[in-house]
Amino acid sequence: MRPGEIVLDHASRAFDIRGDRGRTLKELLIPTRPRAHAGGPPPVQALRDVTLRIEPGETVGVVGRNGAGKSSTLRALAGIVPLDSGRAECGGRVVTLLELGAGFGRDFDGRENILLNGALHGMTRAEIEDRMDAIVGFSELGEFIGVPVKTYSSGMFVRLGFAIAAHIPADVMLIDEVLAVGDEAFQRKCEQRIAERVHEGATLVLVSHDAALVERTCERVVVLDGGAVAFDGPAADGMAHYHEMMGTVTA
Amino acid sequence: MRYRFLFEQMVRRELRRKYQGSALGVAWYVVNPLVLMGAYYLMFGVVFKVAEHDDYPLFLMVGLVVWIFFSQALMSAAPALLDQGSLIRKARFPRETIPAAVVTVQAVTFVSVLAIVAVVTFALRGVGWSVVLLPLLLCALFAFVLGLSLLVSVLHAYFRDVAPILAAVLLPWFFLSPIFFTPDDITHREGARAALEWVNPVAPFITAVRDVVWGGVWPSGATVLYVVVAGALALAGGAALFRRMQAELAVVV
Repeated sequence: MRPGEIVLDHASRAFDIRGDRGRTLKELLIPTRPRAHAGGPPPVQALRDVTLRIEPGETVGVVGRNGAGKSSTLRALAGIVPLDSGRAECGGRVVTLLELGAGFGRDFDGRENILLNGALHGMTRAEIEDRMDAIVGFSELGEFIGVPVKTYSSGMFVRLGFAIAAHIPADVMLIDEVLAVGDEAFQRKCEQRIAERVHEGATLVLVSHDAALVERTCERVVVLDGGAVAFDGPAADGMAHYHEMMGTVTA
Repeated sequence: MRYRFLFEQMVRRELRRKYQGSALGVAWYVVNPLVLMGAYYLMFGVVFKVAEHDDYPLFLMVGLVVWIFFSQALMSAAPALLDQGSLIRKARFPRETIPAAVVTVQAVTFVSVLAIVAVVTFALRGVGWSVVLLPLLLCALFAFVLGLSLLVSVLHAYFRDVAPILAAVLLPWFFLSPIFFTPDDITHREGARAALEWVNPVAPFITAVRDVVWGGVWPSGATVLYVVVAGALALAGGAALFRRMQAELAVVV
């Protein structure tokens, strides 16, 4: 895999949605998939034979209804959720933004959380310390960087989260609906930062319901429906398809 | 090891969470075994006289701190993955670091408390050469506890019964462990004695550490061998099972 390249090859994944999974220890140790389902709702097919090839440096927006498989696609690419069949791979360093500030220690101050969060993204102490000032500056937290994050407002919380992620070296950025944070000025700053990273050669996969954002940020759009690819092509055509599907065509 | 720094950070966060806002901090972990020691001393040293040992409070204390490390580590490792569910669902990193950090924090507490107990014991009873074995014994104990903690934490993520079962099992286990007695104190039947000594995998750890810290004598070769093998097996087995079961963690927690 070249750095920045993304491949989803006949990827499928189902989730068992029964609350009572009724698994036994034996079943677990000796995997027996597909399992026979005794009653209850059938499993949800989140990804249905999805094949995507994304070249380094591409900017791809993933859109679709709620439950269309957008987040599952991202989580499969990030390696957080394994596939039932098929292959999901990203080349090079991957930074995943599924939730800003996930894993912050509430009793840690801003700087300590930068270290912790950077470490979660696989950075070493030296790598993080090199970027510390840039991150603190970007977050616009000022003196608050030295107090425990439990005292932060939710806006400050996500600003710090984004500032960290924005400074992680990455060939691939996987972003799930996290840009709708902070005030408008900060949102614009985030978008600008992402554009810079793309300009430097990073590949972007962005999941969002914000049609305008997708059109601004992405050249290519993938429309998912029911876990399968319904459209894959240039952003303008993709968004047209999306609006048609959603019944939100605006003259 | 790219994730060594992550592990370090997780340990720090865990330590902070544990001691933040408690006035006595680490002192609680000395107070707790002290209270238990007082109670067991009264019960088994004065009232029932199960065992006759010199400096019986110290004898008790050494066994108790080993047991408390073992049981606390398992009890706090069990829910650890669920507690960090939001992180597991949102980020990709080696999941072992979560239970490993929890156990490491318990180990830090354990070693501090044991150091205090050891210093007092050495001052009152003297030191034997066998103390050079202590680091090896503690490493084996750490491996043993870490291995079981990995096992318990990943099992509990799938089956929420594991923690309550563990709590129920630990209580009788405590009384069957040679903490306030040695097997010789309570039975002279060969079979029963051997069972108390070898069937319970925690027993040799307690015996070995107590031989070194309280007794100032060398533990038997068989005990040392047992402890090292048990540590290695538990760690290998726990890590293997964890690796096997961790893939679906983001889905189940």
